[in-house]
Amino acid sequence: MSVNIKVATYLQPYIGGKENLEVEGKTVRECLNHLVVQFPEMKEMLFDKDGKLLDYISVFISGDVAFEDQIDNPVKDGDILTILYVIGGG
Amino acid sequence: MTKFMLTDEEKQQYNRQIIIPGIGETGQEKLKKARVVVAGGGGLGSVISTYLTAAGLGTLRLVDNDTVELSNLNRQILHWGKDIGKAKATSAKEKLSQLNKNINIETINVRIEESNVSELVAGFDIIVDAMDNMPTRYLLNKTAIKYGIPFVHGAVFGLEGRAMTVIPGKTACLRCIYHGTQLDGKKPVLGTTPAIIGSIQATEVIKYFTGIGTLLTSRLLIYDGLNMKFTELKVTRDKNCQLCGDSNHTERK
Repeated sequence: MSVNIKVATYLQPYIGGKENLEVEGKTVRECLNHLVVQFPEMKEMLFDKDGKLLDYISVFISGDVAFEDQIDNPVKDGDILTILYVIGGG
Repeated sequence: MTKFMLTDEEKQQYNRQIIIPGIGETGQEKLKKARVVVAGGGGLGSVISTYLTAAGLGTLRLVDNDTVELSNLNRQILHWGKDIGKAKATSAKEKLSQLNKNINIETINVRIEESNVSELVAGFDIIVDAMDNMPTRYLLNKTAIKYGIPFVHGAVFGLEGRAMTVIPGKTACLRCIYHGTQLDGKKPVLGTTPAIIGSIQATEVIKYFTGIGTLLTSRLLIYDGLNMKFTELKVTRDKNCQLCGDSNHTERK
C-alpha cells in the first residue's frame, strides 16, 4: 500500500525538511518503519527504547487516531497518515 | 425588563458586533447571560479574557495561581512591566475591569487541581483551555465531559498552535486525540502564537453562545506560523476513548 505521511512542523527537520512523503506498508507500524528506514533520526522521535510508540505521539489514519494499541491497524492505498506530537504551552 | 436586556450604553458599546448578521441585540443578550471559565491567565488567557471581556460576556471567571515574571511579558499581554511580582489574577482583574465595567469579572488565585476543579466550573456554561501544561488540560477535559460542559482547547509551542472545540458526548474530546504529555522544560513561544490561537478560542466561545457559524468540532486546527499555513485535521470521536468513548457513558451527567 502506498500511503502519504504528513508530519507536524517540529518533526519536519527530521525528514529532510519535508512536510509529507510517500511510504509503503500494510499497517501503521509498517508505514512508520518504512519512514524510519529512510530517516533513521525519526526513530527516537517516534519510538521508545522498547520499540513502542511514544505516548505523546498521535498518528491519525485519515482522521482515525492510532496510539500504541492501534499501531497494527491496517492502512488502505491512498490513506493519509498524519503524525502529531502533543503541544502543551499556553 | 429582564436583567439581561441591554442598556442603551451597552447597545452603543457592542454596536459593531450587534450589526453582524445573526448576532443582533438578541445575540448580545445571550452573551450578557453567558458564564465562562478561562483556565489560565498567561499567553492564551490574556488574549481570550481580553476579547471576551470586550465582547461583553456577562460573567467571566479567570483562574490562575502564578505571579507575573519578566519572561512572561513577550506574550502575556494582560501583564505589564509594573506588574512583575504581582499575582496574575490581580493584574488581570485590574486591566479587564477597566476595559469593561458592564460585566462581572472574577479572578481566582488558585491552582486547578482534581480536588477543586468541579467547584471552579460549577454553574458555568463553557470552559476555555488556556493552560500551560497537559495534565491540567486533561483534567479540565475530563471535568467538561463529566458535567457535559463544552470545552474550547488551545495550545501553543514556538510558532505552532492548535485549537479544537469539544461538545461532550458528541464530538472528539482531547483524549480522543492525545494521550501523553509534552517533554518537560521551558516551552518556547513567540507572543503572536497565543494571540492567534487565543483569538480563535474567543471566537469559538462567542459563536457558541450566539449560535452563528460552524464550531471547530471534530476538527483540529493546526497553525504553522513558520510556514504561515493553517491546516485542518478531521478527527473522529474515538469510540474506544478512555473518557468519552461509548463504554463510558455512565460517567457523564
